[in-house]
Amino acid sequence: MEEKTTEKKIIEYKPFIFKGNSREFFRIWIVNIALTILTLGIYSAWAKVRTNRYFYANTYLNNSNFEYNANPKRILAGRVIVVGLYGLFILFSQYLAMYHLAIGIFVIAILALPWLIRQAVSFKLRNTSYRNVPFRYIGKTRSFYYFFIINALLPILLIIIISVIIHIKLISAILIFLVSGYIYIKFKELIINNSYYGANGRFRFFGTIGEVYGIYLKIAGWLLIIGLLATICLAIVSEIIGNIEFLSEFIHKIKAQMDNPSQPFLVLFISILMTFIYLPIIFFQKGLSDAYHLNFVNNNTLLNNAHLKGDINPLKLAWISATNILAIILSLGLLYPWTKIRYFKYKLEHIYFRCSDYEQFKSLGYETGSALGEESIDFFDIDIGL
Amino acid sequence: MFINALLYDGKNSIEHKVIIEFTKDKRVKINSHNIDISITEIEIESRLGNTPRVFEFPNGIRCKSIENSKIDEILKQLDIETSKTHKIESSWRLTVGAVFITIFFIWFSLTIGANYTANIIASILPNDVLNDIGHTTLEELDKKYLNISNLSKKNRAIIQAQFDRLTENEDIHYQLHFRSSQKIGANAFALPSGDIVLTDQLVKLSKDKKFRDILGVLAHEKGHIVKKHTLKIAIKTGISGAILGYITGDISILVTAIPTVIINSSYSRDYEREADEYAVSELKRLNVSTKYITQLFEELEKENKIDENNTINSLISSHPITKERIEYFKSHIK
Repeated sequence: MEEKTTEKKIIEYKPFIFKGNSREFFRIWIVNIALTILTLGIYSAWAKVRTNRYFYANTYLNNSNFEYNANPKRILAGRVIVVGLYGLFILFSQYLAMYHLAIGIFVIAILALPWLIRQAVSFKLRNTSYRNVPFRYIGKTRSFYYFFIINALLPILLIIIISVIIHIKLISAILIFLVSGYIYIKFKELIINNSYYGANGRFRFFGTIGEVYGIYLKIAGWLLIIGLLATICLAIVSEIIGNIEFLSEFIHKIKAQMDNPSQPFLVLFISILMTFIYLPIIFFQKGLSDAYHLNFVNNNTLLNNAHLKGDINPLKLAWISATNILAIILSLGLLYPWTKIRYFKYKLEHIYFRCSDYEQFKSLGYETGSALGEESIDFFDIDIGL
Repeated sequence: MFINALLYDGKNSIEHKVIIEFTKDKRVKINSHNIDISITEIEIESRLGNTPRVFEFPNGIRCKSIENSKIDEILKQLDIETSKTHKIESSWRLTVGAVFITIFFIWFSLTIGANYTANIIASILPNDVLNDIGHTTLEELDKKYLNISNLSKKNRAIIQAQFDRLTENEDIHYQLHFRSSQKIGANAFALPSGDIVLTDQLVKLSKDKKFRDILGVLAHEKGHIVKKHTLKIAIKTGISGAILGYITGDISILVTAIPTVIINSSYSRDYEREADEYAVSELKRLNVSTKYITQLFEELEKENKIDENNTINSLISSHPITKERIEYFKSHIK
C-alpha cells in the first residue's frame, strides 16, 4: 500500500538556491585581502576557506545547505610548497641561469601533474558535505596516468603524425575537433563515475560524444554571429567617425604614428580599445561555453536514480560574463564581489535536482589529507571543472 | 537559553529538528538525543555572514542553526571567545579601513617597494645573466627593426670617442652599437647589459660637428642603465600582475596585463626625467654645454611634428620630447 503511493507521487525537480548577497560578500572579500596583506600572505589560506565556506553555505537544496570543511592549515602547507617550488623555478630559470635545476623542477611538475589533479579532485569532494554527509572520490592515481597517456597524449601525437604526413589543414582541424571532444568525455567519465555522495550515493555520467560535438558547433556558431555583428558595428562606427572632422583628424594622427613603434601613445590607445572590445568578447565566449558544458554535464548525470538538470540560458550567462568584466574594469576591481555573486547565482539557480528520498544516504565519515594537489591546481589556475 | 537547530548524526543524511539548550554552567543539552556535554567539548564554527552556524559534537554529530544573533548573544553571556574576523567584517569602519589598507599596499608595492626590490635583485643578479638578456634582445631587435648603419667611418669615430669619454672607468661594460632603422626613426635606447643602440636617423639630425648633442643623448641612455630603469619596470610589471591576479582570483592574466601598460607609461615619464637629470650632471662633469642637446631636441620635436599644446599626448606619452624637457635642458645652459 505504502509503495503504491510513493510510485504515484510525482517527484518534482527542485532548484538549487543561493542565499548570499554581494554586500555581505564584499566585506568578507576586502577583509580577506587586508588581513592577507597584514599577515604577509599567511592569512590567504584562511581567506580561501572563508570565501569557499560563504559560497557553499549559502547554496541550498531542498532547504538544506552545503558545507565546505577544508582545514586552512593544510591549505597553507600546500600553498607554501607550491609557491616555494615555483619561486625556486623562477629564481633558477630567470635570475641565476641554472637551467638544469629549473628544467628538473619543470619535468617533475609535469610528471606529477596527473597525480596532482587526482589529489585536487579528491580534496574538493572530500571537503564538501551536505547534511553532514561528505562527498568522496574513489578514482585511482593510475587511472589518471592512463587517462593522460592513453586518452589524451596518444591521440594528440597521432594528430601530429597525420598532419606531418598529409599536409591538409582542413583534415588536421577536423581531427583536432574530434579528438578534443573525445578527451573531454573521457575526463568527465573519469571524474564523475568515481564520485560518491556518502557511502551509497553513486554518481553516473552517461553523456555521449555526439552531444559534445553539438555543443562545440553551437558555440562556434554563436561566436561567428557575434564576430560578424562586431565587424558590422565597427564598420558603421568608423564610417560615422570618418564624417566628423575632429575625429577623423585624430584618427589620422594615430595612423601617422603607426609607423613609429616607439610611440607609447599608440600602445596605450590600442590597449584601451582592446580592453573594451576584445575582453568582453573573450568573457562572452567564456560564459557561453560554461553554460553549454554545465547544462550538458548536469543533464547527463545521475545520483543513484535521481536526475540532475541544467537549463542555463547560454546567451544570458554570456551576457552576464561580458558585462561583469566591464564592471570590474570600470570600478577598478571594487565590483568584483558583486560580479562573482551575480555569475554564481544565475548559474546555480538554473540547476535542478529530482530526488525522491533525501534521507537515503549513509556516511563513511570525514577524511583528511594533503592539499598539495588542490593548491597546485589553484595556483596555476588549471580548470578541472568541478 | 534555547536555540532552534537541525541535527545530523553523521551516520546518514536524515535531518532532525531539535532544540539546543545552553545552561549557565556552560553545558549544552539536546534532550531528544540524550546529549549533555560541556560547551568546551563542542566546536562552534566562526560566524560568516548569515550562513547557518555549525556546532560540531565529538561523536560526529553536527547541528546547524540560522539564529546567528541569538547564538552570538548566548556566547557573549557565557564568556566564550568568538571569531574576531566576523567583528571586522560587520563593522563599517574596519571594512573601510580594509579598503584603505589594500589601496595603500598596492600603491606602496608599485612605488617604494618595487624600487627596493629592484635594487636588491639588481645587486644579486650576475652580470652574465644581464649580458645574456642584452644580447638576445639585441639579436631580436636586429631581426625585426634594425639594419646595418650607413654612417661614415669618420663620424663613427667621433661619436665613439665621445662615448668612450662618457663611459671610461666604469664597472659596467658599456658598448655602443650603430644601427639604421626606418621603422624606429631618430632614436636611441639602452639595454640593461650596458649596450646602447643609436640610429643613423638621430645622428642625421645633429648640427654639431663634434657630436656633443649626441653625447647628451648617450648620457641620457647611460642614465637609464645606471638607474636600472628596465629592471625596475620589469619588477613593477611582475608585482602589479601578481597583486591584480590575487585580488581578482579566477580572472585570467589577460585582464591584469592591461593596467600594466597604463602603469608603465606613467613610470617611464618619471624615468625619462630621472635620466635627463643624470644626463645634465654627466654633461657638467665632462664640461659640455647642454645647449647642444637642447638644439637636437628642438630638431627632434619638429621632426615628430608633435603639437606642444596637445596635452593628451604629453600626459600619456613616455618618450615625450616636450617643451618641458627642452626647457629643462635650456635652464642648464650657462
